[in-house]
Amino acid sequence: MAKQVCVIGGGVTGMQAATVLGGLGVPSVLVEKSGELGGRVPRLSRTFPFFNDDGFNDGRDFTAALERDLRANRLAEIRLNTSVREMTGDSPNFRVRFSDGSVAEAGAVVVATGFEPFDPTSLQEYGYGVYPNVITASELEWMLNPRGPSGGALVRPSDGKKAERLGIVFCVGSRNRRIGAPFCSRICCSYSTKQASTVKERNPKAFVACFYMDVRTYDRGFEEMYSLALDRGVKYIRGRVSMCKQLPDGSIAIRAENTLINKPFWGEFDVVSLSTGMRPCRDADYLANVLGISRGPDGFFLCREWFRHPHDASRDGIFLAGCATGMKPIRNCMIDGAAVAARAAALLRDA
Amino acid sequence: MNRDDLIKAYEDLRDETAPQGDATWYPNIRRLFGTPFEREKDRLETRQAMEECEAEMQAWYEKARTESCTWWLENHLVARHALKGCISCGVCTAECPAAQYYTDYNPRVITDAVVSGSEERLVELLKSEMLWYCGQCGSCKPKCPQENNLMGLISSLRFLAQLKGYHLASARGRQQYAARHLWGGNLWNRALSFYFRNAGAETHPDFGPRHAQYQSQVDEQMRRVGASPDAEGLFGGRKTAPETVEELRRCIAWGGTLALWNQLEAQAAENARAMGLSIDEYYDRVRSEG
Amino acid sequence: MTIPDNDLFLTPSCILGALNPGTEVLIGRIYDLLGLRWRAGGEDPRSQCTCCTGISSHGDVISMESTLLVVARLWSIAADLGFENITTACVTSFAIHMECLEMYEHEPGLAARVDGWLRQACGRGLRIPKHVVHASDIVHRYRQALAGRFRYSLVEQATGRPLRVVDHVGCHYAKVFPAKVGGAEWCDVLTGMIRAWGGETVDYPERRHCCGMGFRQSMIRPNRGYTMACVLKKLESMAPWKPDAILTNCPGCNVFLDKEQWAIRDLTGVDYGIPSLSHSELAGLLLGWDPYDVVGIQAHTTPVEPLLDKIGIPYDRSKERIAEERAELVQIA
Repeated sequence: MAKQVCVIGGGVTGMQAATVLGGLGVPSVLVEKSGELGGRVPRLSRTFPFFNDDGFNDGRDFTAALERDLRANRLAEIRLNTSVREMTGDSPNFRVRFSDGSVAEAGAVVVATGFEPFDPTSLQEYGYGVYPNVITASELEWMLNPRGPSGGALVRPSDGKKAERLGIVFCVGSRNRRIGAPFCSRICCSYSTKQASTVKERNPKAFVACFYMDVRTYDRGFEEMYSLALDRGVKYIRGRVSMCKQLPDGSIAIRAENTLINKPFWGEFDVVSLSTGMRPCRDADYLANVLGISRGPDGFFLCREWFRHPHDASRDGIFLAGCATGMKPIRNCMIDGAAVAARAAALLRDA
Repeated sequence: MNRDDLIKAYEDLRDETAPQGDATWYPNIRRLFGTPFEREKDRLETRQAMEECEAEMQAWYEKARTESCTWWLENHLVARHALKGCISCGVCTAECPAAQYYTDYNPRVITDAVVSGSEERLVELLKSEMLWYCGQCGSCKPKCPQENNLMGLISSLRFLAQLKGYHLASARGRQQYAARHLWGGNLWNRALSFYFRNAGAETHPDFGPRHAQYQSQVDEQMRRVGASPDAEGLFGGRKTAPETVEELRRCIAWGGTLALWNQLEAQAAENARAMGLSIDEYYDRVRSEG
Repeated sequence: MTIPDNDLFLTPSCILGALNPGTEVLIGRIYDLLGLRWRAGGEDPRSQCTCCTGISSHGDVISMESTLLVVARLWSIAADLGFENITTACVTSFAIHMECLEMYEHEPGLAARVDGWLRQACGRGLRIPKHVVHASDIVHRYRQALAGRFRYSLVEQATGRPLRVVDHVGCHYAKVFPAKVGGAEWCDVLTGMIRAWGGETVDYPERRHCCGMGFRQSMIRPNRGYTMACVLKKLESMAPWKPDAILTNCPGCNVFLDKEQWAIRDLTGVDYGIPSLSHSELAGLLLGWDPYDVVGIQAHTTPVEPLLDKIGIPYDRSKERIAEERAELVQIA
């Protein structure tokens, strides 16, 4: 029986799982399909909710700290630019073949493959891909990062000028039966609020408006972050945006109904950011087949039993962690990573 | 004049022909359309057609008239699939042209009344002016994240309002009597909802003097481009053969529409009496108010 | 949605033929030019085409079931003549036919019931066509072939500048069943024609706004302020781009975007003067067909002649046979 765990995915969840496994004395092989550890976090301009005031001001600072811990324990073998091609055998004797042809024996497998932001090009009403000043939340995030394309300044992509008016559209690609995405992507209200708050903090004169259906900032510290955004003067308008319109100078106009006071709202913005929902990672379908595990109707991997075994996949010996099982904030991904490390370690100990 | 004689008099006039180049032209249609004579004939004819028709849908609509509004919402072909739960997100209202023009209107008021399931609120809605503001453009339809069909729901509710007579409580609703004869009369008699002489200068001053002058020469202008005003032909303004008109009438009847038309007629007659107007005065009144 | 390339049953419109008659006859002429096999009704008196009841339906004076029957009758006439492909002249008809198709797909047992009623009503059976498209879909499909036969193009003859043409796609074409037509936002049916015919497309904020025809809103006079307001909103929004023309595929849109410009000028003093043309009118003009005797531009309230001047299409104004407007117009900047 193999005494190591194969961790698929080198984002924060996978790194945490491998680190905690190392702390429990269990070796692991961590495979990451890209050339870098950290997943989507390094490009974040800020982590939130600023509850303990220990939020990182650049996602890369956080992932660098994680990577130090990971490498320090020496029990994790890290394979970058590597993905999983095939798996044979059953728990606790899996044989995993990788994209470089090599094979590893694993007693357990951890799936920490994360998510993919929804591409709003198909929602043509927002004009993404057609109107230069309509961007996605991921693009806004990178723009606000000092390492980003404009040194952290909010600018209009059409002409590079400083942007004073930002519109943020919630629920793009989520909570929409019409496009087959009836689910909520959980973190968008929160990350959008963080972005809005950050812009106002840096430029108190900026006009920032968030167009929402609900504000679901419900984790610990998140409601406080929302209050802080309101205090800073971020405008919240309860009305789903139906389309973006481009004005002659490239600004983007939005008309929404302020449903709380039953009055229309018309705003003209330098930049409109689409807070896109999330989808399972691109390879989820492929991996589900390779590993022989189930996915839910929303495409994210499905656990064996909702309450008692939230980290067990539908097949013995395979564990699910992080956004691979549905969107969650970074802190919850870290919790997941630790939880599956314990489950996997227990499995190897008892086998 | 009894019913059959009246109908025959109308049809004789309608079917009179005159030569016009190679075409067969019907010179009296322009004298008959939109007249009290035509409306009276229609009134009698549709009542007769309804008496003689054993259409399932006619009976259904007759029954529906006596049921509750909530019954209608659960059973009408269009209404029962129209609403799947509304979170009042406002995306329909954001681009609704009617919500922009009628500043006290928003379509969510309609979904809210329907979702409430309250008979009282529904009746209030059916009696309101607001029910009639929607222009049936469908701008809301591709946007609703819940896949609701607001356009269809409003259409269905308007039908119910008329069946039950609630439309009489609003000026826009009362206009439906004129609508029944304008489009219904055109369909029943000319197999077209809109007849080319309906866009006359008197009713369309906003189209300007060029239009008025064109309309004064409309027959000639239509003929020169290959249309067939009040004549046999394929395109604009054509006189449809009585055999086709008969088939169309039977399709209308078998779909249950006559139940609506006869209801509208009965409601209008009562409303006119209450106002001290003749039915034709009433017709003119309701289409100029609102 | 697959667009058929031949064997087309054309269902004429009530409003198109009434208010802009040349436009509808032109569809037949274009089909002939392209060598397509088409019919617009049967030979015998009981098999002529009728209205689809669209205006009556959206005007709430006819039941859904009556509409289903009337449309089913049209389909049966087409089938009897050997046609599986329906092309509607009118965009409201297009949406009505599509709605019938959708109902048969999603409502169990409805098709059988309608078939039964149709037999009782007029001895015909329900035969669902293979394709239902709008006439502009055919013109779009053949836009390159037509361009090859055009004598003129959407270019300002004097300067070589491509003409700026706003596309106004009918709400009932794009919004009611958007998945069938390439989406409600950027569907190509008219912009494809503009580009293929040498012009430049224009995007402006209220491009997708309804023209405001609104059925009962435009046809019952006290309600028509709504229609005028919608037209005004669109004209104001497109004005900065100085469009040379508006291209439409819906008869209602074509009429109201054209005709309300007079009232707007009368009320606001601003003369937008942007001619509103249907796809078949534009094709007819670029083919070099007579603007008055064939295309019928004299039916327009907003003059089309300035556009002809730009393109370089000659015309004899005396053939219009309408007295000219004498009032001075205020031109927008």
